[in-house]
Amino acid sequence: MVTFIQELVNSLSVASVIILMGIGVTLIFGLTGIINFAHGEFLMLGGIGVWALVSSGVGYVPAVLISVALVGLLGFLLERGLFQFTLLHPNNGFMASLGLSIVIQHVVIRIWNSFSKSIPEPLPGVWEIGEIRFIKMRVVVVAITALIVAITFFTISRSRYGLALRASLADRQTAALMGIPIRRYITVIFAYGSAIAGLGGALMIALFPITPFVGSEMIMLGFAVSLIAGLGNVAGVVGAGLILGLVNGLSGAYGMPEWTNAYTFGLMIVILIIRPQGLFGGTMGPAIE
Amino acid sequence: MAQWGRRLNEDAPSAAAAALAAAQRPTFSQHEGGARPSRELVIVAALIVVCLVALPWLNPGYRALSFAITTGVTAIVLYGMAIPFGQAGIMSLGYAGLMGFGAYTAAILSRDLGMNMWQAMPFSAVVAALFAGVFGLPSLRISGHHFAITTYVMCELLRITLTNGGKFTGAATGLDLLPIGMVAGINLDKLGNAYLLVVVFMLASMLVTYLISNSKYGRTLRSIRENEQLARSVGINTNMHKVGAFMLSGLFAGVGGDLQAYNFRHISPDLYGGATSLYFALMVMLGGPRTIFGPLAGAIIVTFLPEVMRIDPVDSRIAYGLALIAVIMLLPGGIIAVVERGYRSLHAAMSGARLRNKKR
Repeated sequence: MVTFIQELVNSLSVASVIILMGIGVTLIFGLTGIINFAHGEFLMLGGIGVWALVSSGVGYVPAVLISVALVGLLGFLLERGLFQFTLLHPNNGFMASLGLSIVIQHVVIRIWNSFSKSIPEPLPGVWEIGEIRFIKMRVVVVAITALIVAITFFTISRSRYGLALRASLADRQTAALMGIPIRRYITVIFAYGSAIAGLGGALMIALFPITPFVGSEMIMLGFAVSLIAGLGNVAGVVGAGLILGLVNGLSGAYGMPEWTNAYTFGLMIVILIIRPQGLFGGTMGPAIE
Repeated sequence: MAQWGRRLNEDAPSAAAAALAAAQRPTFSQHEGGARPSRELVIVAALIVVCLVALPWLNPGYRALSFAITTGVTAIVLYGMAIPFGQAGIMSLGYAGLMGFGAYTAAILSRDLGMNMWQAMPFSAVVAALFAGVFGLPSLRISGHHFAITTYVMCELLRITLTNGGKFTGAATGLDLLPIGMVAGINLDKLGNAYLLVVVFMLASMLVTYLISNSKYGRTLRSIRENEQLARSVGINTNMHKVGAFMLSGLFAGVGGDLQAYNFRHISPDLYGGATSLYFALMVMLGGPRTIFGPLAGAIIVTFLPEVMRIDPVDSRIAYGLALIAVIMLLPGGIIAVVERGYRSLHAAMSGARLRNKKR
């Protein structure tokens, strides 16, 4: 029983990174219809950025802030310079994102190398409650994720901007006819989603080593959570992220870890076939050509 | 907002005009049923056949020839993929996996029952077609990018299963195969001859895809692409035809997998993961899924581009990615469609059609 609770606690931090990934994917995919495969590279860049800054002597916290800001800026520039031209042809956006993903990965390998990178633990130590050990850094990661989720969720569900955003997610054209500046929303959401993914990477490197190829693995988990939850459903992403985090943690502890992704993907297929709109209900995304 | 609305409106008439133009004067496109192939199509097809067949006599070298074999095998699968994607308009990212079913069927039959490439081919094709039906089943419930991601994930599931399959699938190292051997006194293990064998199959699959898309069946599939509800209302069993189109394309993937297994002589799970499927989708979309030469053009470009730009491996990947983005942004609709448009305007200019139009 103690092992089980310990695994639950540990899988929360894995779930956090997946959730940070999923929020960006669900908003961008739901709003623009682009399957952005390069979104995983934003996570990787966030992590590598922190690694580069920390190894050149910057503290962890400023490194995270700088890195997240830079990734957000990159997302903004890419939306303005590339993805805004593919809005009417999401398939082209999807393919351009594949090219972008290759470029970003190999630019990182060119500047540094393809080996896995890690930083010294920013917050060493554990808290013990009863027999269960809470690694401090993992608790911090979960707390930051909870904060981000809360901010995102309340902005979307309470503010007028959130209302406009939800309208655009549900039906882009009608929302545009109601006077919502969809283009501006797409830009802001793209930059925000990228920054959040960057934060995911920045937090992830405090827990695990990161390679330049981590993005292509994480992006599939990002798609899995956003589709399992229902596209555009931020609260659902949290639920789905927790489920996938648990699947990850428990299959690592009990079942065969080499099948971990198979459980995740199998779950996703079954849920999509039974409930195409997702477990917690979402949009089907904008219609594609 | 105004900007957004304008762009949407601008796009609609131009798309309609393009569709109209394509219907009026078919050249390289797969066109309406019953129409005879145009003169241009026959000439270009003949040129392509001559170029492909002549390649081994030009002494391209070992490396280029083996790349050409890879390209040809890939093109077979792509022509299968062009049926549901180009005609019925459903993008599946499962084709690397289906090719894997074909290849592994061939390898396992060869190991356990001692079959050669020819004996295994029908089994590979049928197994791949059956699983293509399974991969296509979700399309009855989900559509668009949701379906594409689902099939991608199915590929990944297959890769994980093959990697953990123990002795039966050879786990992560994969399986080895025997050489193809002799047929009618021709040694098919010589690279030039193996290449010609692949070219024959590739041309056959190109022809089959052309015939299918010009048949009544092709028209039925296009009706699903244009308006599924309307198609259903006039009595077309869209569910059956969707799965049917997938199974048909699975046959191509199975044959391609069988050929690939015997030409590589070694297969491993990583050949058949989601990443390979993405490259397949890239090739078809680059070339143009609705054009008859599109899949071949896409396969050649995507396979040979990194080869041609061989600088430093990392630099060439960066250049490759950038070239990819540039081609997609600048040539939407596929390269062949652009070539065709260029040819048409040239043709119109030469025959003075433009002048006449202006006077009118």
